[in-house]
Amino acid sequence: MIKLENVFKNFGTLEVLKDINLEVKQGEVVCVIGPSGSGKSTMLRCLNHLERITSGRIYIDGELMDERFDGKEQLKISQERVSQLCSELGMVFQQFNLFPHMTVLENLTIAPKIVKKVSEKEAEAYALSLLDMVGLADKKDEYPSRLSGGQKQRVAIARALAMKPKMMLFDEPTSALDPELVGEVLEVMKQLARDGMTMIVVTHEMGFAREVGTRVIFMDDGRIVEEDTPEVIFSNPKHERTQSFLQKVL
Amino acid sequence: MTTEQILAFASGAGYTILLTVVSVFFGSILGLLLALFRVSKNNVLNGISWFYIWIFRGTPLFMQIMVIYYALPIATLNAFGNAWTLGPFQSATLALSLNTAAYLAETIRGAIQSIDKGQMEAATALGMSYNQAMFKIIIPQSYRRLLPPVGNEFIMLLKDSSLVSAIGMTETLRVARVMANGTGRAVYYLYAAAIYLALTTIFTLVFQKLEKKYSAYE
Repeated sequence: MIKLENVFKNFGTLEVLKDINLEVKQGEVVCVIGPSGSGKSTMLRCLNHLERITSGRIYIDGELMDERFDGKEQLKISQERVSQLCSELGMVFQQFNLFPHMTVLENLTIAPKIVKKVSEKEAEAYALSLLDMVGLADKKDEYPSRLSGGQKQRVAIARALAMKPKMMLFDEPTSALDPELVGEVLEVMKQLARDGMTMIVVTHEMGFAREVGTRVIFMDDGRIVEEDTPEVIFSNPKHERTQSFLQKVL
Repeated sequence: MTTEQILAFASGAGYTILLTVVSVFFGSILGLLLALFRVSKNNVLNGISWFYIWIFRGTPLFMQIMVIYYALPIATLNAFGNAWTLGPFQSATLALSLNTAAYLAETIRGAIQSIDKGQMEAATALGMSYNQAMFKIIIPQSYRRLLPPVGNEFIMLLKDSSLVSAIGMTETLRVARVMANGTGRAVYYLYAAAIYLALTTIFTLVFQKLEKKYSAYE
């Protein structure tokens, strides 16, 4: 589904990603854990061009979509194709980023309508079925400012799903939520995982990673330090840095 | 006042309104375009917009009116042997539009840049192009923030339209001046003031309504 090869990312002189190699296959739920500043979010954001890598290669669906060396583009690919490939990846943000000037329903239908040219009727029907899935069908005409954090994030998940992505990226989806609202969002994500959605989840929710993840990646200081099944990572991590991190958070 | 005078004032006020509306229309379009140039990553567009604003915000409006009405025909005659002449109304609306565009551009740029950058990220992550994100997501959100300063700008424009009496446009202020000079009575200036106040009040009320409408989702 997605592959990163020798990916480096610098912000000025700061090296945020150092030689990342990662492959995610269809149906996998990959949970990325690690201390803040370890490059987890940046890695995710590089996948759909929200950040541009400094060097390395990114493949989506077997197609090379980004190749850079020393910050220079090596690959000629049209902006349109990049947009198409990116829209196969649904993204959920920590801060929700719902469109505040649109109702919940409009938030879900705008991108399918203007990007995929889906008809109004079709877009609305699908949006309503998604809202139903996240348990918010009754909120379709509300503006986002009227929703709780947990509801906002469920709408944001539904909005990403409205583009029928092949894969979902979650960037700390529960970190901005009040503790009592975390559960409802995780529940929706579990449902997605059960339905076979391929997911990469950057998270601090170790319970979720252990229960739902098919693979857990521990990142520290811009590198992937260790990756394995949740059982191994959480009960028998090999690397000392993984051990000390888990000791602190568990 | 005689009926004739009332009609003259009505016609003057009509010109004031016409000047303002036409200049608001063209000034807004040009202002938006310049603002988009300013926030784009294209250095050439950015430079063009910066230069434009530098010129039109940095020189007096009165001078710009003079240049377009009096200096342009002379300059074009000398340069091309063919005088490019604009009538008072064209000159006036051109100067007012160009001038107000410069101020609006900076206001619109500020409003666009004040929108949380997560909005652009969310839009592009959904596959929208830069232009789609700008026109469907970013700019509509900036309306609410734009309304107070744009209302200000339009009121300024309405009052500044009185400057064009200097190039022979018989708008409100010129009507008052002609009557005052002809009759030796100063009261006509008060009538003119009342007309300007009435017009700016209408603007103020319309903008209050709009603000209410666009704050519905907040």
